Amino acid sequence: MTAAIEMRGITKTFGPVKALTDATLVVQPGTIHGLIGANGAGKSTIIKILAGIYARTSGTVTVMGKEMGVITPATIEAEGVHFIHQDRLLVPTATVAEAIFLRNEPRFGPFISYRQMNRQASELLRQYFDMELDPRTLISDLSTAQQKIVQITRALANKAKVLVLDEPTAALVKKEVDNLFVVLRRLKAEGRAIVFISHYMAEIEEICDVVTVLRNGSDVGVVTPADVGIAKIVEMMTNRDASEMYPRREPVIGKPALSVRNLTVAGAFQDVSFDLYEGEILGITGLLGSGDKDLLKALFGQVTPDSGEIMLNGKTVHFRTPVQAVRNGVAKIPEDRRAHGVATGLSVGENISLASLDQMSSRGFVQRDAEARNVDALIAELGIKTPGRHTLVKNLSGGNQQKVVVAKWLSCNSQVYLLDEPTVAVDVGAKVEIYNLMNRLALEGKALIFLSSDLEEITEMCDRTLVIYRGEIIAEYQRGEIDANRLLAVASGAALNQKETA
Amino acid sequence: MSALSNVKGPKSTRAGSKTLAKLAIRLGAFVAFAGILVYFAMTARGFTSPYNLMTVVEQSAILGLLAFGMTIVFAGTGTDVQRGGIDLSLAANAGLCAAVYAVMMREGYGNGLAIPAALITGMVVGLLNGIAVVSLRIIPLLGTLAVMNIAAGLELTLTENTVVSVSTPLMQVIAFGKFMGISTLAWCLIVVSMLLVWVMHFHRIGMRVYAVGGHHEAARAAGIDTGRYIYGAYIFAGFLAGVTSILIVSRLSSSTPGTGLMLLPILAAALLGTVFSRRFIPTIGGTLLAALFIGFLANGFQLLGISSYWVAGVQGALILLVVAVTSFAKNN
Repeated sequence: MTAAIEMRGITKTFGPVKALTDATLVVQPGTIHGLIGANGAGKSTIIKILAGIYARTSGTVTVMGKEMGVITPATIEAEGVHFIHQDRLLVPTATVAEAIFLRNEPRFGPFISYRQMNRQASELLRQYFDMELDPRTLISDLSTAQQKIVQITRALANKAKVLVLDEPTAALVKKEVDNLFVVLRRLKAEGRAIVFISHYMAEIEEICDVVTVLRNGSDVGVVTPADVGIAKIVEMMTNRDASEMYPRREPVIGKPALSVRNLTVAGAFQDVSFDLYEGEILGITGLLGSGDKDLLKALFGQVTPDSGEIMLNGKTVHFRTPVQAVRNGVAKIPEDRRAHGVATGLSVGENISLASLDQMSSRGFVQRDAEARNVDALIAELGIKTPGRHTLVKNLSGGNQQKVVVAKWLSCNSQVYLLDEPTVAVDVGAKVEIYNLMNRLALEGKALIFLSSDLEEITEMCDRTLVIYRGEIIAEYQRGEIDANRLLAVASGAALNQKETA
Repeated sequence: MSALSNVKGPKSTRAGSKTLAKLAIRLGAFVAFAGILVYFAMTARGFTSPYNLMTVVEQSAILGLLAFGMTIVFAGTGTDVQRGGIDLSLAANAGLCAAVYAVMMREGYGNGLAIPAALITGMVVGLLNGIAVVSLRIIPLLGTLAVMNIAAGLELTLTENTVVSVSTPLMQVIAFGKFMGISTLAWCLIVVSMLLVWVMHFHRIGMRVYAVGGHHEAARAAGIDTGRYIYGAYIFAGFLAGVTSILIVSRLSSSTPGTGLMLLPILAAALLGTVFSRRFIPTIGGTLLAALFIGFLANGFQLLGISSYWVAGVQGALILLVVAVTSFAKNN
C-alpha cells in the first residue's frame, strides 16, 4: 500500500538552531495518525514543512507515491493534502459558502454562481456534519467549533485525501470534541488519512490508530496507543534525566499574600480559588487554552473578571489596569518579552529602571546616580551579558533579554510575582540563573506564581502545583507528590479517562 | 443520528446584540442619508429639479470613479480600514495623469497617444505603490504618502503650476454630450459601476481580492498569491486615476492644479460606503451611494447659500464618525 504521506530524513535548521534532525513521519491512508511531542519537540516545524510554510533543509517528502520538490501551500493542496490550522485561518468577512469554496468557486459563465455555491455548501455541511447552517452566515458570527467545521468542510469540498489537524480541539468543549471525533472516524472509514496533533493525551488514546512521538527534533518511536498505553507514550515524550539544573531552596512559608476566591472569566476559566503564601513558589500548569494564561491576566488587571474576588494581604482589590496592579505590588513577567516585556529600542539600564522610576526619583527628577548603582548591581547579580547598561536591549540575545525583564521587576520591589513561561526560548545557562533568582525572591519573602508548560521545571521548582484543565483547577500537589510524567498525564486529561474507566 | 447538531448555534446573546447593533448602524445610515436629502428637497430651492439632479450625478462621477479605486485598494489590502492599506496617492495620481494628458495634447500628440500615456502614467504610479507596500513592506500610509509626493511633484514639474488649457472634439463629447438624455459623464459612472460590481462582487477575482484583504494569512493558506492581488489592486486604482483624469480635463477644458485636494472626499466616500454593506466592508455599491451622498451634500450646501468651505469640514467629520461607528460595531 502506498503511504499517503511519507516524510523521511527531514532536517530543518534556523540559523544555528536545529529544529528537526533526521525526522520521519509516515502516514497510511485510512488511519488517524497522532503526532505528539513536548513543546519544542518539532511538531509544528514538521507540519509547517509539509504545508509549505517552511522550506526543509534536507530530506524527502512523498505524497501518494509522488515525490514533492519545493512545496508551496498551493502545490501541496493540489495533491489533496489539507491543513486545519490551529488559529482558525478563515476570512472573517466572508460567508460560510465563500470560505468553503474560496479559490474553487462554482461558476456560471463569467459570474460566480452564488446559488450553486450556497446549495453545495449546505449539502456538504449536512452530509458530513448533519448540520443545518445558513451558508450566507458570516464567518465572524460563528462560534469557534463552527469555524473549525467550516475549515474541515472546505478541505472536504476540495476532495482532501489527507487532513492535517493541528490542535483541533484546543478551544472546543467536550461535547464538540465528541462530535468532531464522530466525523473524523467517518472520514477515516472513507479511506482518508488524518494527521492529528494534540496535547491532550486522552484524545490521542481515544482517536489515534498510530502515534509518532517526536522528541528534541527527531522521531523516537511509532507506536499503537491501544497496545503500549498512554503512560509509555508520555515517558517516550519526556525522557530526559533531571540534571543538576534545579537549584535547591529550603522554603520558608509565611502568611497568605494573595487569595483568590471563585474567580471566573467567562470563556476562559470558572470558579478558581486558591491561596498564595509569602515565600512560596506556586506552580500553575495546564495545556494550551486551558485558561492558565487568562488567570494570570486576570490577576494582573489585563482582564476584568466576571465574578469572584482577589485579595492582597486580606484586602479585596479590583485591578482594572496593569498599572493598578503594579502600584499594589504585583509584578508580571510576560511570556512574549518582545511584545510586552522590554522596550527593545531602549538601553539595558533604562529598561531595568522603567518600572521603578518612582522609587529612584526625587521631586520629579530621576536620580541618575541611584539608578546607575541599582542597575549595575542587578546586571552583575543576574549575569546579564552586556557591554554595559547603555547597550540597547535589541542587541542582546534572547536569554539576556529575558534576564533584563526579570531585573526590571526585581528592581521595583513587588510583593507578588506572576511569571508567565519565564524560561521559554532561553538557553540552559540562562534558565538556571532565572531559577536562582526565583529562589532568591522566595527567600526574601516574596510570593511567586510560576506558570510553565515545562512540567519538569514545575515539579522541580515549585512548593505546590495547581493543574488547570479546561478552565478548572482539577488537582493540587505538594512538592514531591508527583513527577513530570504523571503531571503530564493529569494535565492532558489522560488521568481523567483512567479514573472513568477504572 | 445527528453528529453535530448540538454544536452551539451562531454565538448566542453577545453575537445577537452585535448583529442588532450592526443592523441599527446600517439602518441609521440609510435613514440619515434619506433624511438629509429630504431636508434639502424641502428647504433648498431647485434641489429636486432634474437639471440639478443630473448636475450632481455628473459632479459625482469623477469623485465616484476615484473612490472606486480607493475601494478596491481597501478591499485588497484590509477590509478593516484601520489596520489595512490605503492609497493616499490616488488624487495626486489623477492630477499627474491629467497633466500628462493635457500637456501631450498641447504639444500636439493627439488622443491616440495622449490617452494611453495618461492611463500608463496612472498604472505606473500604482505599480510604485505596489512596490512600496508589497515588495519593500513599507506601511501603506507612509508608502503611498511618499508616492503621492512623487506624483504631485511630477505634476508641478510638467505644468509648472499653471493651467494647461486644451480643447478637442472628444472632450466636448465627454463634457457636454448626451445619450438617451443622460450625459456622457453620468454614463461613465454607470458603466464603470456595473463593470466593477461584476468584477468585485460576482467574479472570482473580486472574491479573492476580498479574501486577501479580509485575512491575509487565510488567503495565503488557501493558496492565493496575495502579493499579486495587492499589486493588482494598486495598479488598477492607478488605472482608474488615469481614466478619471481624462474626464477631469474634459470637464474643466484644462489640467488645473489642485486635483490632489480630492483625496479627502475620495476617502470620505470609500469609508462612508462601508456603512451600507452587511459586512461593513468597502463595496462598489456602497461607495457609489456614498459618492452621490457627498455630491448631494455639497450641492445642497451650495443651494442653501452655505459656504462651500464647510463641506471639507463635514467630510472630515463624516470620516471620523464612520470609522468610529464601524469599529465600535465590529469590536462590541
